[in-house]
Amino acid sequence: MRLIWSSGYVELKLNKNPVEGFSAGLVDDDDIFKWEVMIYGPQDTPYEGGYFKAHLNFPKEYPQKPPKMIFMSPMWHPNIGEDGNVCISILHEPGDDKYGYETAAERWLPVHTVETILLSVISMLADPNDESPANVDAAKMWREEPAEFRRRITQCVRKSQDDL
Amino acid sequence: MGNCFKTPSTDDISLLRGHDNQDGAEQALGPPPPYQERVPVYHPSPNVSRLANQLSEEEQIKIAKRLGLISHLPVGVYDGSSKKGKECVICMNEFILGESLRFLPCMHTYHRDCIDDWLMRSFTCPSCMEPVDAALLSTYETN
Repeated sequence: MRLIWSSGYVELKLNKNPVEGFSAGLVDDDDIFKWEVMIYGPQDTPYEGGYFKAHLNFPKEYPQKPPKMIFMSPMWHPNIGEDGNVCISILHEPGDDKYGYETAAERWLPVHTVETILLSVISMLADPNDESPANVDAAKMWREEPAEFRRRITQCVRKSQDDL
Repeated sequence: MGNCFKTPSTDDISLLRGHDNQDGAEQALGPPPPYQERVPVYHPSPNVSRLANQLSEEEQIKIAKRLGLISHLPVGVYDGSSKKGKECVICMNEFILGESLRFLPCMHTYHRDCIDDWLMRSFTCPSCMEPVDAALLSTYETN
């Protein structure tokens, strides 16, 4: 029930006050736990011009537990696995006390919405975090071969445009 | 002593068979259903879900302590007069008259069910991330 309300809320919010950078809807009208989102590559980044499709899979315990996000479009980014899985702190369940409160603040909170998740993902695209990369090759390339890194992303951008 | 193991090679089951035939109807019903009770699920760690009867002693103590701390947080019923927020930011529903609320020491208010579920996973306010146990202690000290 929560999700029906929350998703309704997010859609309402998106329509009323559209946030630039993405659009969202359901993969299948009968399943409110699976969302399909389209993220527009942020300006002034190698991803600019791309239309990247991703799925958000919500657990039954949402919003107490975070959804999983997976890019369906090919992506090249240190924090996106080669299988498309997005690895960012706000999609991780809160750590126990051993993680300390500061990092707990960066992890999943039940006040997050599709909107806050996607804003984090867009900021991740613009600003990769190579401390704990999901794609080690992409992280290494980002550090050591920036030109090749951009070239790989340009391929993803073109592919996403062709798939539209 | 040794006689205990000297059993005939084949058991005489004729009596059992006879018994079987007589109570065939009862047998068809199958064994009685297992004792069923809804066992609550707890989260000894944020990403671990376990039935109450499968918790280790250490986990039981941790959960009991957490339940005890949560029970010290004030509760109330929404009477429509709250100036601070009219919506539970966890479920995003507006508070309805008569609904049960929980007030955290940081002054954030949520539906009791929504926040209690979260506090069992992480003992922090989801809006301001203030650790609830530290806040509880400081309210005791100032009082």
